[in-house]
Amino acid sequence: MEKTVSLASLKKGEHFRINRVTHAREVGKKLADMGFTRGTPGVVVRSALLHDPIEIRILGYNVSIRRAEAAGISVDRILPDAPVKSPKGKG
Amino acid sequence: MNDKRVIRVALAGNPNTGKTTVFNALTGARQKTGNYAGVTVEKREGRRSYNAIEFIIYDLPGTYSLTAYSLDEVVARDFILEEKPDVIIDVLDATNIERNLYLFLQLQELGIPMVGAVNIADQAEAMGIKIDLKKLSALLGCPLTRTVGTRGVGTEELLDAVIAASDKPVAASRRISYGSELETEIELLTRELSADPAFAANYAPRWIAIKLLEKDENVHEKLAGCTNAESIDKKAAACIRAIETHFGRDAEIVVSEQRYAYVHGLTAESVTRNAAGSVQVIEQIDGFLMNRVLGLPLFLLIMWTIFQVTFKFGRYATDLLNLAFAQLTVLIAAAIPAGILHSLLIDGIIGGLAGVLSFVPQIAILFLCISILEDTGYMARAAFIMDKFLHLFGLHGQSFVPLMLGFGCSVPAIMAARTLKSPRDRIITVLVTPFMTCGAKLVVLVFLAGTFFGKNEGTYVMIIYLIGGVLGFLSSLVLSKTVLRGELTPFVMELPPYRMPTARGIAWHVVDKTGRYLKKAGTVLLAASILIWAMVSFPQPPHEAGRPDTHLQAGEDLSYSIAGRLGKAIEPLVRPLGFDWKIAISAVTGFAAKEAVVSTLGVLYKVGSRADRKGTSIKAALLADKTFNPLVAFVLMLFTLIVPPCIAALSIIRAEIGWKWLAFSVTYLLSLAWLLCFATYQVGRAAGWGI
Repeated sequence: MEKTVSLASLKKGEHFRINRVTHAREVGKKLADMGFTRGTPGVVVRSALLHDPIEIRILGYNVSIRRAEAAGISVDRILPDAPVKSPKGKG
Repeated sequence: MNDKRVIRVALAGNPNTGKTTVFNALTGARQKTGNYAGVTVEKREGRRSYNAIEFIIYDLPGTYSLTAYSLDEVVARDFILEEKPDVIIDVLDATNIERNLYLFLQLQELGIPMVGAVNIADQAEAMGIKIDLKKLSALLGCPLTRTVGTRGVGTEELLDAVIAASDKPVAASRRISYGSELETEIELLTRELSADPAFAANYAPRWIAIKLLEKDENVHEKLAGCTNAESIDKKAAACIRAIETHFGRDAEIVVSEQRYAYVHGLTAESVTRNAAGSVQVIEQIDGFLMNRVLGLPLFLLIMWTIFQVTFKFGRYATDLLNLAFAQLTVLIAAAIPAGILHSLLIDGIIGGLAGVLSFVPQIAILFLCISILEDTGYMARAAFIMDKFLHLFGLHGQSFVPLMLGFGCSVPAIMAARTLKSPRDRIITVLVTPFMTCGAKLVVLVFLAGTFFGKNEGTYVMIIYLIGGVLGFLSSLVLSKTVLRGELTPFVMELPPYRMPTARGIAWHVVDKTGRYLKKAGTVLLAASILIWAMVSFPQPPHEAGRPDTHLQAGEDLSYSIAGRLGKAIEPLVRPLGFDWKIAISAVTGFAAKEAVVSTLGVLYKVGSRADRKGTSIKAALLADKTFNPLVAFVLMLFTLIVPPCIAALSIIRAEIGWKWLAFSVTYLLSLAWLLCFATYQVGRAAGWGI
C-alpha cells in the first residue's frame, strides 16, 4: 500500500515516512538539519488559511514549511499507528 | 583577587529550549549585551562566581545546526573556533531530544570539552518521555545534567560539571560514527589535513573534513590557510563524488542523514516514551488559535490589541513626560533671560531630549508585548498565518508585526523587525516600513485634507493610506527581485510548544531593547534635533531691540535661517511638483518631526496675518494663497507620505541596518516621492484637476 508521493500532496491528518529530500544546498540542508531525513515518520497537522504553508509534526515537534519546499520531499503514505512507532522510538 | 581561576563557557543550543532561562539562572544580573563583530547578531555575556572560580558565560545564538547558510550558525561556530572557550554547555530540550542531540553531536566535533544541560526535563516527564541520563551520558562520552531553567533547578550541578569537564582532556571515544562509507572518506581527508600541524592545531581536522563533505563554503575559505589546500580540495571533490555515487543523494544530505541515524541509535537505547498525553494540549490550543475560521480574526484581534496598547498607553506615558518637560521649561524660562542660550536650552536640548524620550514608553510597551508573543510561541503561529500573503511580495510571515506597527510609529516598528532572523528579510521589512502612514504623517494629511477637501476629507486620507500600502508592497516585490534578490531562504520554522513566559525574561527584554534604543538611536537623534534647531534659528535677521514678537517676525526669522535658505535654494527642484519655497521649507523642517510640516506652514503663511487663533487662520491663509489649490494639497499629501521619515526613524534605520542601507532608503524614497508627485501634478494640471 505504500506509494511514494510528494509531501505537498498529502492532506491534513495523513501520516507519512520520508523517502528522500530532493532539494540540495540551502533548502535541502535546512530540511535535513530539521530532521527531514530518510525513514523519519511524520504527520501533516494543518495548512494555513491560504493553503500555504503547511504544519508538519516530526521528531516530536511541530514545524512549518512552505508548499514549494514540501514539493521537494518525497514520502510514503503510512497508516497512522502501526509503523510509526518504529524501533527509532517515535510516536 | 585577580588571580582567581577563570573558566570561559560558551552556551549553545537549539532555539526554544529555554537556553535564555538557563543563562539567566547561571549569571543572575551580571550581564551585558552587544553585537558580534561586524554583524547584527546579538551577543550576551554574563559572569558568575562559584567555588572561588569566575565563570564568563557567552550566550551563543540559538541554532539547529552549524551550517554556513545561516548567519546565526556561522556566528555560533566561529565564536567557538576562534575564541576557543574552555567548555561548551549545550542546552538540550528534553521534550524534543533527537533534534537537540543533532546539534550536540556537531558541537562535539569542534574538539572542546562539553557538558549537556537537559532542560525542561519536568515537562518531558509530564509528557511521558523518560531519558536515562546516565546511559545517554555514557553513550555520548559527555556529562549530562538535568536543569529546569525557569526555576533555576540544577544550576550548581551544571557548574560542577563544567569545572570537572574543564579539567579533563576531550576523550577520543566520544566521536560519532557516520557509517563505514562516509568514515573512509572522512578519515582520508582528516589524514591529509593533519599533515599541516599548525592548521590541525587550530581547527579540529575531523570537523573540517566533515564540513568539506557537506560543501561548506566558509570552511572551504578557512582551508586556504592550510599548506596543502589545493590537493585537499581535489581529494574532497573526489570524496563527495564517491559518496554521491554510492548513496545516490547529495553528500550534504547524506551527512545529515547519517548523523540523525546515529541520534536515533542513541535515543533507542536511552529514551523511553509512554503515550504522549501532553501533546494533545498543544493541539487543543492550536486547534483554537490556528483554526481555519477563527485563526485570522483572532490574529487580527491580538495585533489590534498590541497596536492599541502600544500607542494608546504609550501616549499617556508620553503625555506625562511632556508635562514634566513643560515644568522644566518653565523653571529654565524663569532662570535664564530670553536669548540664544534660552532658546538653545528650551527648543534645542530640552526639545530634543523630550523627542528622544517620547519614544521610550512606546518601545518599552511594544517589546513587552513582543516578548510575550515570542516567549509563549504565538509569534511563530502569527508568521504561519500571514506567510502566504506576505510571501507574494517577497516578504516573510513575521514582517507583519513591523509593518502593522508602522501605522503607529516607524521607530518601534523598525525595531520590531529584529524578530526576523534572515538579514535579507529584515532589511526589506525595514526599508518598506516607512510606507505605512505613521501617526505624525496622519496629522499633516488630516490638516491638508480638512482644509482643501471639506466633506471628502476622510476619502482623501484613505486614498493616501492605500497608496502607501500599495507602494510598500510593490517596493518590497521590486527590492526582493533586484537589490535584495539573494537565494530563496527556506521557511522551515519551528512552531514551538506554548510556554508560560517568565517575568524575568520579559523584563530583561524590555530593559535591553529600551537601553539599546537610547544608546544607539537616542544619541544620534538628540544631536540631530539640536542641529535642526540650529538650522531653524540661525542666522537671525537683524532685529530692532524690543520689537514685539509677532507672526510676521516669526515668518521672517524662519525664512532668514539656514532651513529657510535651504528651502528657497531647493525651490527650483520642487517647482515642477507645484510647490513654492514655503512648502519646501516645511518639507525640510518635516525631517525633525512630521507634525512640524503643519506648524511651519502656519508660521510661513500667516506672515502679515493678525489672526491668533490656530487652525482656522492657517486654513484661511492657505485657502487664500495663490500657490495652494486642491491639486497642490493632494500632491503635498502624497509627498508627505513617501518622503523619507523623520530624523528619529532615520536614526533607528541606521542603528538597525547601517549607514549603507540608510543612504539607500533616503535616496530611494526621495526619488520615488519626486517622480510620483511630479507625475501627479503634471497630469493633474493638464487634466485640470482641482484647479
